[in-house]
Amino acid sequence: MRISTIALANLKRRKGKALFLTAGISIGIGTAVALLSLSNSIREEIGSQLDRFGANIVVVPQSNNLALDYGGVAVSSVSFDVKQLKNQDAVDLHDIPYRDRLSVVSPKLLGAVKVEDTEALLAGVNFDDELKLKRWWQITGRRPVAEDEILVGYEVARVLGLIEPVAMAEMTSHSSHGSHGGGQFKISRERLQIAGRQHRVTGALAATSGPEDRMIFASLAHVQQLLQKSDQLSLIEVSALCKDCPVEDIVHQISDRLPHAKVSAIQQSVRAREHTIERLTRFSAVVSIVVLGIGALMIFTTMMGAVVERTKEIGVLRAIGFRKAHIIRGLMIEVSLISAAGGIIGWGAGMLAGWFALPYFAETEISFEIQPLLAVGAIAAGLVIGIVSSFYPIIRASRLDPSEAVRYV
Amino acid sequence: MKKVSFLKIEKVSKVYQENGAESAVRVLEEVSLEIKEGEFVCLMGPSGSGKSTLLTVVGAMNRPSEGRVVVDGIDVYGLSDEKRADYRREYLGFVFQQHHLMPYLNTAENAMLPLATLKMSAKEKRNQAMMVLERVGLADKALRLPNQLSGGEQGRLAIARAIINHPPLVLADEPTGALDTRTGREVMEVFLDLNAQGQTIFMVTHNPDNAALAHRIINICDGRIVDEMKEG
Ligand SMILES: Nc1ncnc2c1ncn2[C@@H]1O[C@H](COP(=O)(O)OP(=O)(O)O)[C@@H](O)[C@H]1O
Ligand SMILES: [Mg+2]
Repeated sequence: MRISTIALANLKRRKGKALFLTAGISIGIGTAVALLSLSNSIREEIGSQLDRFGANIVVVPQSNNLALDYGGVAVSSVSFDVKQLKNQDAVDLHDIPYRDRLSVVSPKLLGAVKVEDTEALLAGVNFDDELKLKRWWQITGRRPVAEDEILVGYEVARVLGLIEPVAMAEMTSHSSHGSHGGGQFKISRERLQIAGRQHRVTGALAATSGPEDRMIFASLAHVQQLLQKSDQLSLIEVSALCKDCPVEDIVHQISDRLPHAKVSAIQQSVRAREHTIERLTRFSAVVSIVVLGIGALMIFTTMMGAVVERTKEIGVLRAIGFRKAHIIRGLMIEVSLISAAGGIIGWGAGMLAGWFALPYFAETEISFEIQPLLAVGAIAAGLVIGIVSSFYPIIRASRLDPSEAVRYV
Repeated sequence: MKKVSFLKIEKVSKVYQENGAESAVRVLEEVSLEIKEGEFVCLMGPSGSGKSTLLTVVGAMNRPSEGRVVVDGIDVYGLSDEKRADYRREYLGFVFQQHHLMPYLNTAENAMLPLATLKMSAKEKRNQAMMVLERVGLADKALRLPNQLSGGEQGRLAIARAIINHPPLVLADEPTGALDTRTGREVMEVFLDLNAQGQTIFMVTHNPDNAALAHRIINICDGRIVDEMKEG
């Protein structure tokens, strides 16, 4: 017979109430766990999606004397320097320890060329990689396949008169046409003279307001030949899947592998991702706090009721020599057992709920991780909520006047 | 057993404040009395005369408005709240009219309830419980729940719980009040038996036959001691 014996006997006696409280805590903890693990998974998904949407790392030659602007990144154009980027560099880049995190590596060569009467920026790319990187591109027509086939940016196409708007009536039947920037259009002229050679326009990009609006894309090998820069690259755009690793780590690893190149992270994409994740986390936190607050209120009310219900019993214990501290200890044991049980059940339920709910929130196939460490956190959180919210009722119980409690009316 | 040479109640008054200061009820008026070691004292009086109040004041759980309760020169209400709880555990045993047994604990567990807070092996606690249950004749019902005991047995269990700590003074508030004459007698026998072995007892009772068995009868009316009768 110890204080814990009394506490356990009391729990057994008031099973219904104990189960009710356990359920209350598990619902609160479960919601928090589900939200936390969901937002964790979604955070990883967003991370991978954002990483897939565009490059987050750019590799350029160490020094340049002439620069062309490409999306805010200085890009060398004229090849006086010794340290050139070569085709092989795009291959070597895959040797870094974090190679699994590299989602797309897109090497390109840029150069100003004479297109009919004007000048335009010509980019040689591997279309497979480039299109994976520029998911937001909307192509009217089709992507180039043959050597002499090209893809043109919206401004270039407009200025050179390569496209014309589609009439309203025609629009519905050509739903695959570009719909952004300047409305729908179709390719009206396919032949285009670049650097004195005939090319065929197979596709035009809808306006993006990006640098590609003013660019022409052709295959890398073809552009290297056209610009007489065989084997040379102006830059390599890299998209790294970065869930938990800082992009900086990947940047360092690439720098180590390609010492002659300048590697930099595009901060913008990192910032945007951090911002989104921050908002998601904040939302989860607010909802969790509300639910846990309701749970705490429930515990508080139930415990207040329990104290009233047990006035006599507590009074008797006090009368026969239990100190206030002993009463507190007994009730604390009860609350702690209930809270710990609620915490662990809540963890299990939350994990399960998260696992079931994930497909409704995530667009891609992402794995749901069982987090054992979260179980420890859930128990701790359950204990904190249980103890904090029953603190006042318990103190009140300990202050019950024994003479009042045993009074026979 | 702890030895207490005397318990002295000095000019104790008790005023209950109900609903603020508007209606104050004076329940005890300058009550003074002494209880000597080994005595069996009965307190009698009409309902509402302040018997229970006096008993809880003596029981160190109801602070008097005026006066002192002194045990071996120590003012009980001068002790801190926790120390007073210790005092109750070590010096007093309570038997309540409603017995106030814990319905979810069995007979043995109810008997050893006052030991719950003590550092003592489970075996030792069980032994002590069996010893007191033996004394009140309940040893064969150690595993029963209170609702499986008769009224008289419940009364005896309440006495077992009161004496398990070997308190110098046992306080009982109408312990036979809820029992019929025969079972009331059965409980009374236990008290007499204890007293014969030297247990000091201060008991409130309505039953003149029971009171007649005590060494001393104190009559209280409207919070004042009106009459004391000494045996022999
Ligand atoms: N805690 C209390 N608050 C207010 N009045 C009380 C309280 N306890 C007892 N009383 C009143 O004091 C008077 C004496 O009560 P009590 O000591 O229980 O008498 P008895 O035990 O002799 O019947 C009664 O009128 C009762 O209503
Ligand atoms: Mg009474």
